[in-house]
Amino acid sequence: MLKSIEHIPTICPYCGCGCGIYLVVKNGNIAGMEPWKDHPVCEGKNCQKGRNAHTFSTSDQRLKTPLIKKNGVFEETSWKAAFGLIAEKLQNAEPDAVGFINSAKCSNEDLYVIQKFIRVVQKTNNMDNASRFCHSPTVPALISTVGSGVMTTSTTSIEQADCIFVVGPNLQETYPIITRRVIRAKGKEARVIVVDPRNTLTAKNIADIHLQIYPATDLALINGMMRVIMDRGLEDKEFIEKRTQGFDELKNYVMTLDLKEIEKITNISLDVISEAARIYATAKRACILFNSGIAQHAAGIENIKGLADLALLTGNYGKPGTGVNPLRGHANGEGFGDMGPLPVFYPGFQAVNEETARCFEEIWGVKNLPSQPGMTYMDMVEKCKLLYVVGANPMLAAPDTNRVKKALEEKDLLVVQDIFMTETAEMADIVLPAATAMEKDGTITCLDRRVQRIHKAVQAPGDAKPDWVIFCELAKIMGFEQQFSFYGPEQIFEEIRKCVPQYRGITYERLKSPGGIQWPCPTEEHPGTEVMFVEKFPTPDGLGHFQIAEYKPPLEVPDDTYPYIFTNGRVVFHFHTGTMTRRTKGLNNELPNGFAEINREDARELSIEDGNPVLLKSRRGEIKTVARVTDDIRPGLIFMPWHFSECAPNVLTGPTAGPPSRMPEFKFCAVSIEKV
Amino acid sequence: MKGDLYLAWSCDDKIRKMGESGGAVTALLKFALEMRLVDAVVAVKKRNGNRYDGVLSLITDPDEVVESAGALHFAPVNVAKEIHKYLDGAKDLKIAVTCKPCDCRAIIELAKRGQINMANVILIGLNCTGTVSPVVAEKMIKDEYHVNPEDVVGEELDNGKLIITLADGVRIQRDLEELEKKRYGRRENCRRCSFNIPRMADLACGKWGTKGRKVTFIEVCSTKGSEFMAKAIETGDLVVETPDEETLKERERKEKQAMELAQRWEKRDFHGLKGLSYETRLQYWMAYFNRCIKCFGCRDVCPLCYCQECYLEPSREFVQGGQTPPHLMFPLVRLAHVADSCVNCGQCQDACPMEIPLTRLYHMLNRELSSMFGYVPGLDIGDYPPLTIVTPEELHIEQVNVIGKS
Repeated sequence: MLKSIEHIPTICPYCGCGCGIYLVVKNGNIAGMEPWKDHPVCEGKNCQKGRNAHTFSTSDQRLKTPLIKKNGVFEETSWKAAFGLIAEKLQNAEPDAVGFINSAKCSNEDLYVIQKFIRVVQKTNNMDNASRFCHSPTVPALISTVGSGVMTTSTTSIEQADCIFVVGPNLQETYPIITRRVIRAKGKEARVIVVDPRNTLTAKNIADIHLQIYPATDLALINGMMRVIMDRGLEDKEFIEKRTQGFDELKNYVMTLDLKEIEKITNISLDVISEAARIYATAKRACILFNSGIAQHAAGIENIKGLADLALLTGNYGKPGTGVNPLRGHANGEGFGDMGPLPVFYPGFQAVNEETARCFEEIWGVKNLPSQPGMTYMDMVEKCKLLYVVGANPMLAAPDTNRVKKALEEKDLLVVQDIFMTETAEMADIVLPAATAMEKDGTITCLDRRVQRIHKAVQAPGDAKPDWVIFCELAKIMGFEQQFSFYGPEQIFEEIRKCVPQYRGITYERLKSPGGIQWPCPTEEHPGTEVMFVEKFPTPDGLGHFQIAEYKPPLEVPDDTYPYIFTNGRVVFHFHTGTMTRRTKGLNNELPNGFAEINREDARELSIEDGNPVLLKSRRGEIKTVARVTDDIRPGLIFMPWHFSECAPNVLTGPTAGPPSRMPEFKFCAVSIEKV
Repeated sequence: MKGDLYLAWSCDDKIRKMGESGGAVTALLKFALEMRLVDAVVAVKKRNGNRYDGVLSLITDPDEVVESAGALHFAPVNVAKEIHKYLDGAKDLKIAVTCKPCDCRAIIELAKRGQINMANVILIGLNCTGTVSPVVAEKMIKDEYHVNPEDVVGEELDNGKLIITLADGVRIQRDLEELEKKRYGRRENCRRCSFNIPRMADLACGKWGTKGRKVTFIEVCSTKGSEFMAKAIETGDLVVETPDEETLKERERKEKQAMELAQRWEKRDFHGLKGLSYETRLQYWMAYFNRCIKCFGCRDVCPLCYCQECYLEPSREFVQGGQTPPHLMFPLVRLAHVADSCVNCGQCQDACPMEIPLTRLYHMLNRELSSMFGYVPGLDIGDYPPLTIVTPEELHIEQVNVIGKS
């Protein structure tokens, strides 16, 4: 007999938009998903991933018990046995031999406990996550220009812009709910400029001007636009005077640029560059949206500095619908940064150093916290003998898959904590079953700094536990009961508030209202912050700093052996490495397999027809897939989605930037393609 | 009997006070539970006391019914869909449902298709001249009424005004037409809707004619409704009196006013579109459909879409999977399947993340089909959709072939 139907409000676990959804729970099971119309970000609208968000959680492929590999085969084991083994290995490991990879799919509470464990119990700063592959250039680039690497406007105020500059993202497929805001802005006569080497759905549907740029030349374009703006005197002189520093140096540099050269490099006519520059500069409120297309390059930091310069030059900061806005990929993409499970930051973006370590020693009641910056993602994958991976899939997400595979095979201990047996979990020595976002309470922070509650709708299956519980139990076994005696997520959040100044005024009680609270929120009376940098920038002098960013070609350019440029990205039906979406019927049935987009002319030259099997090779590996012949991609460029393990683009990718970003150049490497 | 008219209120003072107008509906629902005429009451409740965040509630405790009291104009809940999807169409569950006229019509359409067991449903329809999307409402109240949306305890649409009541009793009104010019106000489909008194339900309840008295006007619309009322009156839970001439005239006047406004909006919304040539009309809609990302939101929320193996899914091998935008057949096939029965509930347009005005198209076509076939969906459970039946006259039309069973 039906006893109850409950509408549990929560946030979609996929992308950084942070859309609200209702999970309908009937007699203890999730029966379906309903729109949450009062949610300010999505207003009851969701993309297909959100509409199917509840499905993967109930897949019968869920990990339910701890597993231990014996003679190459996984056997079920108890938590006690698994913890015992892990504790022993961790305790006996040499200092820099252990690395931890965490995930922006984890909640804030999970990540806070994880970084606390790594610092207090393991006494190292060797921790990182896939944001390394996404916005690692964003933070240094934006800190050097405006003092903070966060989204400056909010999702809801994008529609107040009268010019939206979409630099790189295939917005309609990767952030549909933000695309809706752009559509609404267009309804009020906003002009939209899209930069993308492909003629994507976004370019076709929302662009007034589409700059189908030669790949990886975005900085040349941006510098060119700034030159046009300065030539025509369209810069915001008042803003530059009052709120910036370094304009003269920038101007001197920009004046040395050869616009004809830029035209050649970018493959975009000077007329079009000038028109884009004019529209952007003369708008009352111009909003830049960018993501991996700009960041996933060796020159990622320089690219983003260029964007910040452009916005400072034209006074596009401090008002709703302006700014330079990085779109974080994961549901907790912003929160992950805030919680500090990073090699160079403690919680609250406090740099890893002696002072910060002492400060946290006081808060946590411990001694000898690590004060040296730790190792980043790929360094840990390659060098750490013991690797503990939570919610991450380096076998698909990291560059140069063959190298990653070899490195993982040689580990003394590989622990993988996840919800499914991913490609990385297959290689583990110990697998720990984790709870999904629908099976625990907590908070996540989406791309516009919006801290929101996730609510537990159902129990996790079998012995699966929330990530924070797993680390607390491990910590207790390793002798740190006192610092990890949290009885629930709310208690963890109270501790987070003490350490992360931006969260100080946020409480679970205040988070009851739909749409959560956008940080910074310094006090419990403060309503949260919709727009950043209204009065000043969080730099030492409060000013925005122009940075000179010089265009440089990418790390690996096409040559005779590998004559095509290879790039990759996402499609609307899937998310990232497909862990969740390929186990969701409604999504996977739409697109069960990968493909390689090739230009019609190129295909003709190679005698490749639509649907033919093709072989792609790079210096690092080769993959087989199916050709999709199209007019929507530039000649000389091949595109693949990166959701499918059987034809994984990262087998081909490889070259990586140096410090500080250590960003792999996912969006550009050299390949050959042939029919098979 | 069917056609009986009452002014009614709850005998319980607390309910009378908390109810929208005298708590008659609350009293009826409570009575139904206490007398075990139903297993549960289905009503929209404020989640967390938030009147902008309405959710469908299944109430089994009679004392809980009062928590759902009070009309919520900012909560366009998809009642029919949720009854079908989560309550198994009331197959084995007796329920009393209180909802908007579009919900009532959708329930009747689902019942026609064997998807809702009407024998198990007491349908208490509520007068409605429209709902406002919650986020729009909150912005409207901030920007146009200059108060904190959290301070609103009641709202009503009356005489061309949208009136809000604050906790301290203060009432503020704004002109509805003015609000709607500024893109505030009611959802687009609501503005066109002339089904303001839900006579397709068992009882139609509202406050037209009551002139601010704490009483509810109840029109009995079926035998089931009549028997239900009789029982409630007999126990004394519901107090009634006969409405006088003036009340009846006032109610008639208000209904006429609402229908005229709806007809003006329908003309405004459809006239221009109907005047387009076929080519231009197709271009107009294709420009919208090119934005479609195939989220299936429209299909998921439509109360009339319940096929387990939906024709639009790749497994049916009709619309190719994985394409964005999907082939034009995607929106057009759904349109063909649903158009004759669209009840203009607006849920599809609410759900679309790409701002495609779906209800505008579906409702427009439904009105065309309606006049062609002389058929209005959602009124009579015995009235079958024209595209599912063949009349004797149609059988004799040249070029009409009937294939199949003789």
